[in-house]
Amino acid sequence: MLVSGAALLLACAAFFAYDLYTFRVGIVHNLSTEAKIIGSNTVSALVFNDPHAAENTLSALKASPHIVYAAIYTSDRQPLAGYWHEVNGNPLPLPPIPAGQTQAHWFNGGQIALVDSIVFQGKPTGFVYIRSDLQEINDRLRSYAFITAAVLLISLVVALLISRTSQRVISEPVVQLAQTVRIVSRDKNYAIRAAATGNHDEVSTLIESFNEMLGQLQQRDTALHQAHDELEHRVLERTTQLAVANKQLDLRNREVERATKLKSKFLASMSHELRTPLNAIVGFSDLLAEQTAGELNDKQQRFVGHIKQGSAHLLQLINDILDLSKIEAGQLELRRENFQVSSALPEVLSTIRPLAMAKNIQVEFTLKTERSVYADRVRFKQILYNLLSNAVKFTPKGGSISIDCFEKENFIGIAVTDTGIGIRAEDQKVVFEEFRQVEGSADAPVEGTGLGLAITKRLVEQQGGRISLESVVGQGSRFTFTLPSVSQASNAAQTGASVPAAIPLSGGREKPLVLIADDEASARELLASYLEPQYRTVMVESGSEAVRKAQQLLPDAITLDVLMPGGSGFETLVALRRTPETANIPIILVSISDQKRVGFALGAADYLIKPIRKPVLLETIRKHVLPYTDDDATILLVDDDPSTLELLEETLRSAGYETQSVRSGARALEVLSSKVVSAVLLDLLMPGMDGFEVLRHIRQEATLKELPIFVITGKSLTKEELALLNAETQALFQKTGSWHQQLIAELERVFHEGKLAKSAGIY
Amino acid sequence: MWRGHCALLQLTIVGVSWLLFGWSSMLGQQKPNEYQVEAAYLFNFGRFVEWPAKVATAQGNSFTICILGEDPFGSTLDATLAGEAIGGKNVVAKRISIPQESVDCQILFLSAKEAGRLNKIMEVLDKGAVLTVSDIPHFSQRGGMIQFVLEGNRIRFEVNLTATQRAGLTLSSELLKVATVVRRNPAGGD
Repeated sequence: MLVSGAALLLACAAFFAYDLYTFRVGIVHNLSTEAKIIGSNTVSALVFNDPHAAENTLSALKASPHIVYAAIYTSDRQPLAGYWHEVNGNPLPLPPIPAGQTQAHWFNGGQIALVDSIVFQGKPTGFVYIRSDLQEINDRLRSYAFITAAVLLISLVVALLISRTSQRVISEPVVQLAQTVRIVSRDKNYAIRAAATGNHDEVSTLIESFNEMLGQLQQRDTALHQAHDELEHRVLERTTQLAVANKQLDLRNREVERATKLKSKFLASMSHELRTPLNAIVGFSDLLAEQTAGELNDKQQRFVGHIKQGSAHLLQLINDILDLSKIEAGQLELRRENFQVSSALPEVLSTIRPLAMAKNIQVEFTLKTERSVYADRVRFKQILYNLLSNAVKFTPKGGSISIDCFEKENFIGIAVTDTGIGIRAEDQKVVFEEFRQVEGSADAPVEGTGLGLAITKRLVEQQGGRISLESVVGQGSRFTFTLPSVSQASNAAQTGASVPAAIPLSGGREKPLVLIADDEASARELLASYLEPQYRTVMVESGSEAVRKAQQLLPDAITLDVLMPGGSGFETLVALRRTPETANIPIILVSISDQKRVGFALGAADYLIKPIRKPVLLETIRKHVLPYTDDDATILLVDDDPSTLELLEETLRSAGYETQSVRSGARALEVLSSKVVSAVLLDLLMPGMDGFEVLRHIRQEATLKELPIFVITGKSLTKEELALLNAETQALFQKTGSWHQQLIAELERVFHEGKLAKSAGIY
Repeated sequence: MWRGHCALLQLTIVGVSWLLFGWSSMLGQQKPNEYQVEAAYLFNFGRFVEWPAKVATAQGNSFTICILGEDPFGSTLDATLAGEAIGGKNVVAKRISIPQESVDCQILFLSAKEAGRLNKIMEVLDKGAVLTVSDIPHFSQRGGMIQFVLEGNRIRFEVNLTATQRAGLTLSSELLKVATVVRRNPAGGD
């Protein structure tokens, strides 16, 4: 309604305005015409100066009631005749026409005034001045407005009537429909239907379609609900199933956990149980073989040899099996650190050398990189030892083995090459498998456990490296393994950050240096093997070299072979004694022949006759290198296993120490409270008070705080235990191999340190 | 003595005015305004009258207003006609002495002195298409076309339509509007 009314009004106003404009223009036009007519009809009156005639003409204007005033003026602008519609008055002054125009008009005061110039035959003859009122226009406006109003009103009424009807027919049903839609969507009730109108028009079609749609919606909605319910049911089922499955899995998990725990416990205890007696076997047979308990005849030596071999093999086997189990159980603990290959190699080499020498095999080591390797030191040595021992095993007499250490991208690679019998292609595939061994031949009987390479492979891979094999039958084999390396930058930080190894090496700088002079390589090697790892060794081939090196290195002792070409031992001895720097170095003469008197006369510290037995050599060296050995030093041995005790006693005594043995932790504490000892060798797994407790007690005692404690155990240690022991003890030995040599070295080292400290007044 | 001077002064003033009056008369304008108006009328008559086509073309490129007999206008007529044109033709004044010379004239003014010979003149002019104008009394009753009449102090004129029609001249209704008398003599002219 409003809209149509507004539209109408707007239209009327527009037409009105236009009409007004047109009307005004029309009025002007009409007036102009009238003026012109008047003008042309008064020409002669103007020309012949006849006012009457002009008046006559003007009087015709009576017929136009709107003309208020009209007058004729001469070309001098003087009035000739005038006409007043209402009241006669004086002629009005003639308004001037603007230049350039013949006519002008003005609207003012409700009238329109028009002046037209009369031109007859090209000559301006006079002027017509007409004034008209605007009555007509106003009347017209009024009637127009009236009509407009009337039309507007009628139209609105009509519109109202029509809209009422249309509302009934169209908008009401539509509004109702909209309402229905709203209700349906609000209540989600699809059962509702819109009411039909009864007409057969477009709106009812719409309503029908809408109802149809609602019907479909209802169907779908029902279907949806059903599906939803079903789904819920299924989900519930599935959830229950899952819960059951979970429970089962849980149980199984727990079982698995238990099994794993048992396995670990087994490993831990087995480790100890197996190793302890085996240790006794190996240790004692070693001692027997070294003839520390007395000389053996040939047969006895052979028997002991067999025992040693057998036990060594058994020990190896047990170690391997335990290792492998640990690796399989994922319990291999690697203590990785950065270290130089060149620092880890010597130990391995020293163990290998005797074996190699026995078969006259040359061993060479080439280092092509300065970078450190990031690995577990012990395991690294294990890997190397495994590969090297294999190489020695399978290389015939007179062969050679070379170890190359090189850089490969971010890895350090080590290749062990031998000139052995090689491995057949089909065997190459299986060598790394457990319990696989290559078939032996007549001069290379099968040795080893068959687990070495399997373990080696796993050790390499667990540390992030790879191992590979190249071999040609009859020519030799090369085993290459890689381990992650570290850049030079971190090299500097490595030494401080590393976790100490299970078997700490004696700090190189602490170990005494022994210069070995002998022209025979084998003899040198032998002595070196006896002396390592307790001492550092440097070997020279001749007397003159011995003198030079002695001056250069200032060793703590020199072993000097007497029968040497190019300056016999005696001459060298004299030379050394004469040189002021080397004069005080104890020189131990070694010879096949007995020329002791000459030797001592010339100033030798001692004289040993070949073949030299290891303990003899060690003792002699020790006597002269560490002349301040405190002979009163007693070492307390704590272990519940008598055989271990005896082993320790023998080992230490042969090295010149006094010992006292106790079989329990409690007893150990008793002894410690009543007696001063210089060191304690402590077992960990003991009934009653175990090693850890003893350790704790000892460390709590103020007087015993500085007491050197060495732990010897067959137990596989956890990281925490290891850390504790490293913090509290001087050294830790594990009964895995020939640890007793290490032991002596460690003891010496610790005592040496202690002595230095004492002499420096620290104690 | 004063009285004697006064009288002399008065006499002098009167004498001077007489002289002045007489002086201006001697300038030769008998009734200057009257003939100026009539000259203007003569010219303007030409604007409200149509001559027959053949006559108009025959009379060439000038619109001639002739004066027969004694010329009462003098230079006034020429001054009034100077630079004017009727129907694109230059308006010139011409003085003639015999009516036969009026063949080139569109308008002919007969001076009042010719009143005696009027009939003879009208005979001659009867054949032509000349608009005859005069201030001879009863001119329009005697066959003349336009007669000047003095009403009060205004110059009016009478028109003899019969005469104009006989000459083939068409007079504008405008002209007739301002004429005092319009004679239509169905019985013909005198």
